[in-house]
Amino acid sequence: MASIIRPALLRQTALAASTRSAARVSTSFAQQSVRSAILKDSARCAAFHTSSRRSLLPPGPQVIKGGVNDPAPVPETSPSHGSYHWVFDRVIAAGLVPLTVAPFAAGSLNPGMDALLCSFLLIHSHTGFQNIIVDYVPTTRYPKSRKAAMWLLNLATVTVGIGLYEFETNDVGLTETIKRVWKA
Amino acid sequence: MNVSRVGVRALQQGAKPNVFFSQNLPRLALSAKATSTVQTRPASTNKITETDAHSILAAQRRQRPISPHLQVYDPTQTWFGGSIWNRITGGVFSGGLYVFGTAYLAAPLLGWHIESASLAAAFGSLPLAVKGSLKFLLAWPFAFHGINSCRHLTWDTAKGFSKKSVMSGGYAILGASVVSAFGIAFFM
Amino acid sequence: MAALRSSSRLLATASRSAFKPAIFTRSMATVGDATNQAEPKGASDSKMKKFQIYRWNPDQPTEKPKMQTYELDLNKTGPMVLDALVRIKNEIDPTLTFRRSCREGICGSCAMNINGTNTLACLCRIPTDTKDMKVYPLPHTYVVKDLVPDLTHFYKQYKSIKPYLQRDTPSPDGKEYRQSKADRRKLDGLYECILCACCSTSCPSYWWNQEEYLGPAILLQSYRWIIDSRDERLSERKAALDNSMSLYRCHTILNCTRTCPKGLNPGLAIAEIKKEMSF
Repeated sequence: MASIIRPALLRQTALAASTRSAARVSTSFAQQSVRSAILKDSARCAAFHTSSRRSLLPPGPQVIKGGVNDPAPVPETSPSHGSYHWVFDRVIAAGLVPLTVAPFAAGSLNPGMDALLCSFLLIHSHTGFQNIIVDYVPTTRYPKSRKAAMWLLNLATVTVGIGLYEFETNDVGLTETIKRVWKA
Repeated sequence: MNVSRVGVRALQQGAKPNVFFSQNLPRLALSAKATSTVQTRPASTNKITETDAHSILAAQRRQRPISPHLQVYDPTQTWFGGSIWNRITGGVFSGGLYVFGTAYLAAPLLGWHIESASLAAAFGSLPLAVKGSLKFLLAWPFAFHGINSCRHLTWDTAKGFSKKSVMSGGYAILGASVVSAFGIAFFM
Repeated sequence: MAALRSSSRLLATASRSAFKPAIFTRSMATVGDATNQAEPKGASDSKMKKFQIYRWNPDQPTEKPKMQTYELDLNKTGPMVLDALVRIKNEIDPTLTFRRSCREGICGSCAMNINGTNTLACLCRIPTDTKDMKVYPLPHTYVVKDLVPDLTHFYKQYKSIKPYLQRDTPSPDGKEYRQSKADRRKLDGLYECILCACCSTSCPSYWWNQEEYLGPAILLQSYRWIIDSRDERLSERKAALDNSMSLYRCHTILNCTRTCPKGLNPGLAIAEIKKEMSF
């Protein structure tokens, strides 16, 4: 029997207690305390700084193409941008290790080696910059900037290639220049 | 009506602030100021088409913020990681090569003198301390890029991936690059 | 009747402190005495720790995400971060939203960024130092609410690698596809992946190019099917990865290997794929 009346009794008790407490505290005090509670809450919530202007590579609003159960599109196979490119990159990088160490270690001045070093450095730089552009200027978001950056890079590489050729043919060569500057 | 029935009924009303199961008694006490203790939920549902539902979801998606990444992720893995510094040092040297190559081509037109002789002379005229620090500032990125690239080439053969070597290897390479940079700068 | 009396006394004390932002605890297994429910702040043996948690409410989309601080007594909290989160939701702020299910690191629901690295909240112990604990959703994901990221695209990418056995030849005995012990051993360290997305969202390459780059988790899964001796679509699987974006945005940063809460090695799996593709 007690179990049946208990909810009702409790509810009455709660009601009575709340009206009593409401009568005791004046409304202004209640407002004040509520306000202070809110202030206290807001002090505990520090705003999180995510201003889109300053964030790196803003991703833009979320857009999901296709339904949730469709697979993401698989790009076309192109080994010249994929596995061949990767292997070529590694071969150039691995080749640079002996090419950079040998001239300084041997102390010899070989124009052929120097030319090889220069061309390897140029290719390595070019693919390195390409990687940076592909990483930070995605085609999906900035197709025009991506194209412009790639062509600018190609232009720069050709220019630098000609410049290095001039330097190699008219001057003492890269290795020797570095050696002389270092010993100066 | 027995005890268990009451319990079941209370569970069914779980969403409502029932006194029995409430976790927030004081809040209930406050809300109980309202004259009626009868709970009503003026919730109504209406069916929408699948395309409408999808467009609502798409609109919600466009509102979503991106969670913080670089600013909160462990800086020893992002800012001080070997990978990004490999890119930075490599980019600095490649950028230098590109600037030098272009400048060498443009030098006759602009009247600059960046032939090897004038470069060496200009560098030689600097005070010793400046020379030393400049040398170190060039030697460290060179050494770091060289050593760290060798590590990357090892990784490309799928070796050296144990968690321990991944964690501790970064510090070893930092130390080795500083030591060899000193060697290159002051003993060569 | 005794129960009624004690309850009403509790109500009286509760209503008196109704305006104070005191912390009330639900009477869980740890708290037996009904009258002793308020968290004794400043008690001599209490170990208070502050938790700063990322909050964002989709119902107020114009408001910026913010960090909210909660304080808990570690003596009354379980050892793991998930225990703390559950306790905050139960006792302090029911609006805090996060995913959780198994509480033992097998479902991958509670993946989040805790003190700067991605991990599962249920496998991450609360450090006993006095520093504030910082909890964010998985980095560079779109936030649905508070600590809940939207992983739709992640799952779509998983589907794109066809994560199931593909073969045409029937098994010799017509019953099952057999595999040598050595071949089976190749799947160790791969099949354990629970796709919690900790590694993918720790990868800067995935942050910048997640539309096209598959990310460590999906690539590890891809390798799990590439290396499976029973699968007969090796060349197709490799061809699907052979472009500039899907696989080769990996620059061996290895945040994935450092962060994996299951102790797996996505970085190694990706290196194995690259090796497999190159010759």
